Formats: sequence, C-alpha cells, structure tokens
Amino acid sequence: MNAENGSIVWHNTQYSYPNSDHTIGAIDLELEPGTATLVVGDSGSGKSTFLRTINGLVPYTSGGRFGGDVVVCGRSITTHKPRDLADVVGFVHQTPEAQFVVDNVEHDIAFVLENLGTDERSMRRRVEEVLDALGVAHLRDRSPATLSGGERQRCAVAGALASGPQVLVLDEPTSMLDPQGADDVMAALRRLNDDLGTTIVFAEHRLERAAPLADRALFMADGLITDDGLPAEVLAPLTSAPPVTHLGRLLGWSPLPLTVREARALARRSPPPIAQNPSELANVNAGSTPSDPFPSRSPEAGDVLVCTRAAGVELGARTVLKPTSVEIRQGEIVAVLGRNGAGKTTLLRVISGAQNPSTGSTTANVPVAHVPQEPDSLLFQSTVRAEVSSTLELLGKRDNAAVDRWLDKLGLTELADRHPRSLSVGQRQRVAIAAVAVGDAPVLALDEPTRGIDATSRQALEHAIVEHGATGGAVVIATHDIELAARIATRVIVLGDGEVVAEGEARDVLTGSLFAPQVLRVLPPFLTVSEVAQALGTTGPK
Amino acid sequence: MRTTSSLHAVTWLAWAIAAGACVQIAPNPLYVALVLAISFLVVSTHRLDTTLARAFPLLVGLGVIFALLRVILTALTTHSPTIDGPPPDLWFTLASFTLPQLFGGFTVGGTIEGEVVMSAAAQGFAVVGILGAFGVFNAVASHHELVQAAPRAFHEPGLIVTVALAFVPSTMAAVSEVREADRARTGGRVIRRGRLVRLTVPIVESGLERAVSLAESMDARGFARHARGRSDSISAWLGLGALLALASGFVALIGQSGSLALGLAVVGVCALVGAVILSSNSGGTTRYRPRAFARNDYAVAGIVIMAPVGLALLSSIGDEQLWWSTTPLTFPTFSLFPALLIGLLAAPVAVK
Repeated sequence: MNAENGSIVWHNTQYSYPNSDHTIGAIDLELEPGTATLVVGDSGSGKSTFLRTINGLVPYTSGGRFGGDVVVCGRSITTHKPRDLADVVGFVHQTPEAQFVVDNVEHDIAFVLENLGTDERSMRRRVEEVLDALGVAHLRDRSPATLSGGERQRCAVAGALASGPQVLVLDEPTSMLDPQGADDVMAALRRLNDDLGTTIVFAEHRLERAAPLADRALFMADGLITDDGLPAEVLAPLTSAPPVTHLGRLLGWSPLPLTVREARALARRSPPPIAQNPSELANVNAGSTPSDPFPSRSPEAGDVLVCTRAAGVELGARTVLKPTSVEIRQGEIVAVLGRNGAGKTTLLRVISGAQNPSTGSTTANVPVAHVPQEPDSLLFQSTVRAEVSSTLELLGKRDNAAVDRWLDKLGLTELADRHPRSLSVGQRQRVAIAAVAVGDAPVLALDEPTRGIDATSRQALEHAIVEHGATGGAVVIATHDIELAARIATRVIVLGDGEVVAEGEARDVLTGSLFAPQVLRVLPPFLTVSEVAQALGTTGPK
Repeated sequence: MRTTSSLHAVTWLAWAIAAGACVQIAPNPLYVALVLAISFLVVSTHRLDTTLARAFPLLVGLGVIFALLRVILTALTTHSPTIDGPPPDLWFTLASFTLPQLFGGFTVGGTIEGEVVMSAAAQGFAVVGILGAFGVFNAVASHHELVQAAPRAFHEPGLIVTVALAFVPSTMAAVSEVREADRARTGGRVIRRGRLVRLTVPIVESGLERAVSLAESMDARGFARHARGRSDSISAWLGLGALLALASGFVALIGQSGSLALGLAVVGVCALVGAVILSSNSGGTTRYRPRAFARNDYAVAGIVIMAPVGLALLSSIGDEQLWWSTTPLTFPTFSLFPALLIGLLAAPVAVK
C-alpha cells in the first residue's frame, strides 16, 4: 500500500450551489490514511456538502461553482468522476431508501463489484464478508423495500463496503437505527478501521455513539471548518456533546469524559459529593418518601384523551402489533421504545387513527395530529411559513400569532422564507412538526422526531414537547433516542415484536437495561444531568 | 418473504410469451378466461416479495378499463349497414349525430347492436388476457435475473429499465403515504379543497429527489464506469435486429406464412448468437451469481411452449372454434382438446 492510499487532501476547496447563496469553503485540510474523522455541526452547516466533495458528487451531480481541488488516494476529483472513484471511495447516503438499485439485498451489495468487473470468485467472497460484517446475512434474499429502516441502513452500508474501499464516507449512518443497530454499524466501522486501515469520514449528530470511534473531529459552521482536533477537545464544549461530558463538566472532572467507560473511571476516582442510596436521597429531595426518592414525573391522572382497547394489527399473514391496550392521558409524554421493526410506528398510527386496527378498537376523545417519519410526505408549499400557515387555512382558522409561535418554538424563524425542500433532513423534520402541531390538536403523535436533528433544534423540540404536555395536551413519541426518553418522558412503553414488554416510569423501565441512558449507567439512580444538578443543589449544566 | 423464484426469469418470459400467444391464437372468451384463471393460479403459487408483487391485479385492472373503453367507443361508432329495417340484433337506439367529414364523417350514437358490443367485448377481454400474462411475469420473475441473463450489451439499458419499473410501485406507496400525511396534518379530518396540489407536489418532488439520489448512488457505485467499446455497440444493434427478426418471425408464423417465418427465425438466431459472442468478448462488468437454467426450467419452458404450438397446429388444420363468431350471436363453443392444451400453461404450479 503506498503512502497516498486512503489519504484525502482538500486544496483551497470552495463550492457554491447553483441559484443559492449556500456555500462552503475555502477548505484546506488533509486527512491521514487510516484515520476516523467525525464531522459535526448544526443542521445546514454544510456537512453533507463537504462529505460529498470526497467522491466528487459535489460538483458533478449537483452543478454549481467549484474551485480548488480535492485529491483522494492520489486521484483528483477534477479529473475523476464519482464513478471513477468507486473502487476507492464507498459512499453511504443520508436516506438509504434511495440507494438501492436492485430489488434484492444480496445482488444490490454486489452491484459495485459487477461494475468494477471483479471476477466471480472474489465477488462471492466479498459479498459474504460484508453480509457478515454488517450482520445482514439473514436478509440476503429480501427486497430492500420490505426491510425496516435500520435493516435498510445496514444493507446500504454493506453495499458501499463491498468494493473494499480505502475511504468510506457516511452521512449520518445511525440516525435511523435503534441502539443495537447503531452499535452494530459502529462496531463494523471500527473493525474496518482497525483491521483494514480504512479511512472513515462520517457526519453524525448523536455524539454519544460516534465519539468513541473518532480519532479526529471537525466542527463545521456556515460552510467552514471552524474547529479541528482531538474529539475530546472539539466535542466537549458543544451543546450536542454526550450527556456524560455535561455530567463531567458539572462535577468538575478533568479531562472531560466522552464515553461511559471514561466517565465511570472518573466517578470511581473522584466520587461526586451526592448521595446515591434511596434513604439519603430522600433527605436531599425533601418532601418525598424514602421509598420514592424522586418525585414522580407523571402528572396527576388527567382525562383519558385517546385509548386503544386490545388493538392489534395484522398485515397479510404477519402480526405487526399484538392486541395492545394503551391509554394516553392529559399531560402525559409517552415515549415508545423498541428495536427497529418492533411495531412502534404501527402503534403510533393506531393511536392517531391513521391505521385501523384489525382487532380491538381505538377511541379518540380529541383530535390527534400525527407527524410521519418521512417529513417529505407532507411538505408541498414553497416557503416554510406558508407550509405552517396552510394547515391553519385548511382548518379554516387564521392565526398568524400561532404560526409565529410555532416557528419560534422550533427555531425556524430564520428559515421562514426558505423553500422547505432546500433544507436539511433535520430542518425539514422540524418544519413538518410545526406544520402539524400548529393545528392545535391536543394529542401529538411524533414518529422519530429527533432523527437527523442537531442539538439546538433538539433542545427547542424538547422544550416545545414539554410545554405542550404542561398546557393540557399529550405527546406520544416513537423513538430510538433513549436520552430523549430519559429527559422528558413521563411514561415509557417498550415494544418487542409487536408486544408491550415493559411499561412505566422512565426510571423503572430503563434501570438495569442494556440500553440505559448514559447518566444512569455512570451514577445510578440518576437519569439525567439535571437530576444530578438538582441533587447537588446547583442550577444545572452550564 | 422471498425475492427469488423457483424458476428462472427466462422461463417466466417463455411462459408469458406462451400465454400471450395462446390468447392471440385462441381469442374465444372461454379460452381467454381459462388462461386468466391459470394466470391467477400461477401468481398465487409463485408471487415474490418484491415491489412489483401487485403487478397482476394492477395490469388486469388496466386491461379491464381498456376493454370497457373499447366496448363503449365501438358500440357508439360501429353500426351494421341498414338496408331494410332494423339490424338483426338491435338492443336499443340512442340519439345520433354524424361528425363532419373533417373528423372522419362517422355516426356517433344511434343503434347499439348486440353483435358489435359482444365482439368488441371479446376483443377487449383478449387484451385483458395478454396484460394479465404480462402482469404474471412482473409479479413472479426477478427482473434483475432477466437483465443478468441478457447479453452483456443489454445489461446497462436493461438495468435502467428495471430501475425505472421499480419507481412505479414506490410511487404508488408514496401516494398512500402522502394521503395519510395529509389526513394526519388536520388531525384526521379530510379536506377535499386543494387536495390535488397537496398530494401531487410532495409525490412529484420526493420522486424527483429520489431519482437524483438514486442516480448519485449508482454513480458512486461505479455504474457505467467502463467506456463502451465498438464491439458493444455493434452487438447492441445485432441484438436489437435479432429481437425484431424473431418477433416478426413469430407474427409471420401466426399469419401462416411458414417459409417467411423460418427465414426470419434463422436470421434472428444468427444475429443473436453474433451479439452474444461479440459482447462476451468485451471486458468491463461482470455478473454476480448468474442463475443457471435448471432441469425444472427446461421442463416447464418446454411444456408451456407446447400450448401455443399445439393451438397453432389446431388453427392451421381449421379449428373454427378457437375464435368466437358473433354473427349470429350465439354462446361461444368450448371443446376439450384446446382447453387441455391451454391447461399446459399451468405447468409452473407443479414446481414449488
């Protein structure tokens, strides 16, 4: 392997989109072969554009003005088209749905090998290897259209890996995955990086998963790389830093931990000056009984807004949801957790009336508004503001104040005049939520609302959800985001294969779980950083 | 949950051609109904878990719409010449007017006659039968397998066709997704005003976005990486010529011009062999696990081809019952031997 293999060099790279003032650059950067580089930044900061310059998708397929050069493994993208780089760069799109060429997983993975003209025996071996590396061997004969989101994402990564590229580029590879699926993908990436020395460049919002893999982190803002260095240095000051980092800052740990493992070691070395057993905690939280040291988050039993009675869903011969009875009461924020394909979306659709149960029934006492997983399916207007206000027009209301309020709540005021389709996935998600929520339905059903969303908007969203619950509404969220559930859920429902396997307060359900939130793993029984802050008597993380 | 059929895509192509040919040779509605029943049986035993799995009911539905249109238009515009008194099988008479000479000068409306309606219906029904056979092929065969089995020169255009085909079902899925999103937006209330725009815009925009990402993904995965050589384009033309020659040979066979059919078949086979030889010599792409033509495939393909061949022989020795004559209007006749021949089309059901 010569020294150029796996290296990526940006020389004064500048790019601007056609008919848009969206630009990146100038960027001068060199990534060493065999490193794993994490790119972070808010939605719309140019991460995707930056990643796409690596194999020339920008500017070859997007048009626009391009200046400077990018050299990948010794090949310049000004002289090589994306297809000429297919043997050295593997690329995984943000939306895996759009990536499949063949209606069969195994043959789709072999697509790049066929194009490269690999001989049959090597193809067989490579395909078997990547099927195993991503744990998708059991899906080989399936059609990508019938897979769950996470399965699809892993198959898409497998398709990019098949050619054994020296550089692998991934745009938010775990945004749609359950914790287990995300760990599988991350473990596979680590193995590639360790064993084969594959250079990995990836963008990710969920830093708690991504940080352990990275050797180097880049922070992007407004199309420029504003910070570059070791992950601990770059990521620690960010609001999107993992919860353990915030915990470390609160407790004055140094160096700041990025992983649960580091945080646990620090907690053992310098235990925080707070009580950790129930009887002592009871003294801290005055007013609560010893057996219940934390005041319950559950609201006073409010009116039942929606309930399902033994509602089950069968699609063809497959039982997607076994008969389930769920009550959603006023003031509740219910998080529905479970692995990919466990029936979360179906339960949400049953609750919102989008899906009629095959058995049992759903009773909605108030309107239920439902934001689907794919925000694109409801965006049709030419500006964000029009998108939000058109819902009100449809409902025969005219309330500009409500439009402004929701734009503001979800941090969309600055984007109000942009075309929804020109926004990043996370921003579109927020537009879709605002467009549905503005209709003022008391019950909001949100499907994966934090998918691809950055830290600032996630905070805005969490705030809006809590407020909606506090003002007499109720919110049901289907999510993989355990931290979100730990922070705001008043009740957690865990689904497994279409069945409710656990239900109750977040602390009861998540304690002892393999996928417990980070703070609970370091300092049980605390769920979140703000609970620790409260126990310390301080005002919370800075 | 399966995406691989127990039979080769080429076998299924043979089946679809055989079934279509049976309908062409024996357009008697009873025989067409038999072909459709067998099609249904074949689909229910062999349907794949792919995006095109619902192609059969869809294409049959399309055929029915086409047939209805045909019946209505024919009934309104075709009239037997009235010499003395009303035509023999008059159903009823509508108000009529004659179009100006510029538009053809025929009469619209007027007498609606049983013979005309029934014969148009029979022809329409035959179209349903042919579309049904095509639908079966789409629902049970892997298109990728067919692309892989095609000569190398057809590989890239074939792949583009299969990718385009895959957009049909995904767009239909998008339609239901967008309808649901539209209903969800208003908390379950359906508001009809302006709904067309609200439904169309997301479908079209998402479709375009998907097409762009797919093109990017294909590009990033090295599609069309190798420059096409001279032998590629020669073999592509040879292949096209071969297909045309074979198809016209088939038409000539139906048209009972045996020597012409034989000549065309020889030309077609030669061109096809030339195309295959030329294209396999050019370098570039390879195939992943191309499927071999197994014993079952030879057996099924052999059996189903017997059906149209047998019917063609029957028709050449003058079996009038393969057609249904609507003048005078009688119930179509049915005899056992042609039905048994058509029954050969059910051969795939035995292979599971």
